Amino acid sequence: MSNLLAIFLGMALVNNMVLVKFLGLCPFFGVSKKLSSAFSMGIAVLLVMLVASGVTWPVYHLLLAPYGVEFMRTVIFILVIASLVQIIEMAIKRTNLTLYNAFGIYLPLITTNCAVLGITFINIDQTYSFLESLTAALGAGAGFTLVLIIMSGIRERLGLADPPKAFKGTPIAFITAMLLGLSFLAFNGMV
Amino acid sequence: MTKKTNDFFPVIFLTLIVVVSVVALTLTNGITKDKIAIAKKEAISEMLATLFPEMEDFTLDEESGLYTPLTGGESLGHAFMATATGYGGTIDILIGLEPDATLRGIKIISQQETPGLGAKITEPFFLDQFQGLSAEQVVLAHNGGKIDAITGATTSSSAVVNAVKEAILKKLETLNKEGGRG
Amino acid sequence: MHSFGKNFVKGIIRSNPTFILLLGLCPTLAVSTSLDNAVGMTAAFLFVLLVSNIIISLLRNYVPDRVRIPVFIVIIASLVTIVDLMLQGFVPALSKSLGMYIPLIVVNCIILGRAEAFASKNGVSDSIADALGMSVGFGLAIFVISFIRQLLGTGELDLFGRSLFTIPGLSDNPVSIFMLPMGAFFVIGTLLALFRWMGVSKGE
Repeated sequence: MSNLLAIFLGMALVNNMVLVKFLGLCPFFGVSKKLSSAFSMGIAVLLVMLVASGVTWPVYHLLLAPYGVEFMRTVIFILVIASLVQIIEMAIKRTNLTLYNAFGIYLPLITTNCAVLGITFINIDQTYSFLESLTAALGAGAGFTLVLIIMSGIRERLGLADPPKAFKGTPIAFITAMLLGLSFLAFNGMV
Repeated sequence: MTKKTNDFFPVIFLTLIVVVSVVALTLTNGITKDKIAIAKKEAISEMLATLFPEMEDFTLDEESGLYTPLTGGESLGHAFMATATGYGGTIDILIGLEPDATLRGIKIISQQETPGLGAKITEPFFLDQFQGLSAEQVVLAHNGGKIDAITGATTSSSAVVNAVKEAILKKLETLNKEGGRG
Repeated sequence: MHSFGKNFVKGIIRSNPTFILLLGLCPTLAVSTSLDNAVGMTAAFLFVLLVSNIIISLLRNYVPDRVRIPVFIVIIASLVTIVDLMLQGFVPALSKSLGMYIPLIVVNCIILGRAEAFASKNGVSDSIADALGMSVGFGLAIFVISFIRQLLGTGELDLFGRSLFTIPGLSDNPVSIFMLPMGAFFVIGTLLALFRWMGVSKGE
C-alpha cells in the first residue's frame, strides 16, 4: 500500500508531468486562461490517462512482449489512445449531454497530448505492475489537473496585473510556470 | 479527385497503411536488432570497466542480475546494480565487489538529485570513500561509520549509503547460499 | 522555385514553430540541456517531418477523408519508430539521453499539424520546403535554448565530447538552476519577451 502511495505522490508532485517532465505543455498553456475550462480539461486528461494505462499495459505485456514485437509499441499505443478517445467521446455524447458539453469538447485535443502517451511509456519503462500503472496514471492525471488549476487561477489574476509590455501574455506565463516549478521543488525528498 | 464513396474503401486503405507500416518496421527491426544488442552489451562492458579496468570480458547471470567480470577466464569479483530512493527520485548504483567481498568501488549510473547539492554523489571525493570497505563499514560518519556525508545533501548521501549496504548484504547472502561460487 | 523558397523561409522566422506558434514545446524544453541533445533531436525531427510530409503529400488525393487522421498517425508513428530503433542501434548514448522524448515525437503537434494543414493540401516540392523550413526553425530554437542552458548551467560548452568553450569561474560554481526543468521555462519566457521587444514578433 505504501508503495502505491509513493508512486501516486511521486507522479503527482515530485515528478509532475508538466513542471518536471515537460509533458502536456500545449494544453497547459493553451487551456489555462480560465479556471473552469482548466478543471474540465484536467479531469478529461485524468480519465483518458487512466483508461489508456488500463488498456496499454495488457496490450504490451500479453500481446507485444510474448511475441517479441516490442518495437511496435509506439504505433500500437498511439492507435489505442486515439481509438479510446473516440470511444469515450461517443459514449459521453450518447449518455450525458451536460457532461459532454463540460468535458467532451476537450477530448479530441487529448489524442495529441504527450502526457497521455508519456504515462503509458513510463508504465512500461518503470516495469510497473498493472495496479502500479493505474496508480501512476491516477497520480499523473491528478498532478496535471492540480497544476492546470493553479496556473489558471494565477493567470486569471495576471490578466489584471501590469507586467512590462514585452512580457505580456505568453512570456509572463512561462515565467509563472518557472516560479510554480520552483515551489514544487519543495516536494522533492517527500517520497 | 479519386476519393471513393465506397463505404469499405476507408477501412481497406487504413488496413493497407498499417500493413505497410508493419512490414517497414519489421525490416528496420531486423537491421537494428543485432546492433542494439551489441550496443547494450558494450554499454554494460564500459560501465563495468570503470570499476574493473583490467576486465576483458564478463558474464551475466540473468536471474540474479549478477555480473562477473573476467580477465583471462579468471573472475575478478562481482558487480551488481542497486537502487536507492534519493531526494529527487531513484538513484541507480553499480556496486563492484572484490573476491573477498570488500568493496572495489561504486559508481552512480543515473540520478536526478539537485544539481550542486545532491548531484555531488557522482563525484570522486564521495565515491572514493567506499573503496576497500566491508559491508558493515558502509555507514555515514555521524552514525559511527566511515563515510562522510556531502554537506547540505544528507538525504542523498544516506540514500546511497543505505542502498549500497543493504544490496551487498543481500547479495552476499544469496552468493553464500549457492555455495560460494566464483 | 519561387514558392519553394517562400515555404522554406516562413518556418524559420515568421511562423517559427517554437517561438511564434508555440507548438511542440515538450521536446524542446525537455531535452535542451546540452548541444548534443539539440543536434540529436533536430536530426530526428527533420527525418520524421520530411519523410511524413513527402508521403502524405504523395497520398493526398487518395486518403479517404474519414480515416485521414488515423492514417497520418500511423505514418508518423512508423517513422518515429524507425528513428528510435536506428538511434538505439547506432548512437546508443544519444538515444539514452533523449530517452522517451524520441518516441514522443509522435504526438508532437508540429508534425501532425504540418501533415494536416500543409502536406495534405500541397504538392511534394512545397511540402519538402515546408518540412525543411520548419525543421530549421525548430532546430534553431532548440539550439539557442540549449546553448544558453548548457553555458550558464554548467559553465562550459561541449559538443560530442569536444570542449568548445569554458567560462572561467562559472564552471566551478555554475548557475545550476538552468539545468533544472524550471530553467527551461525561464529561458524560453525571457527569449519570447526579447523577440517582442526587438519587434520580431507581435505582442498580444
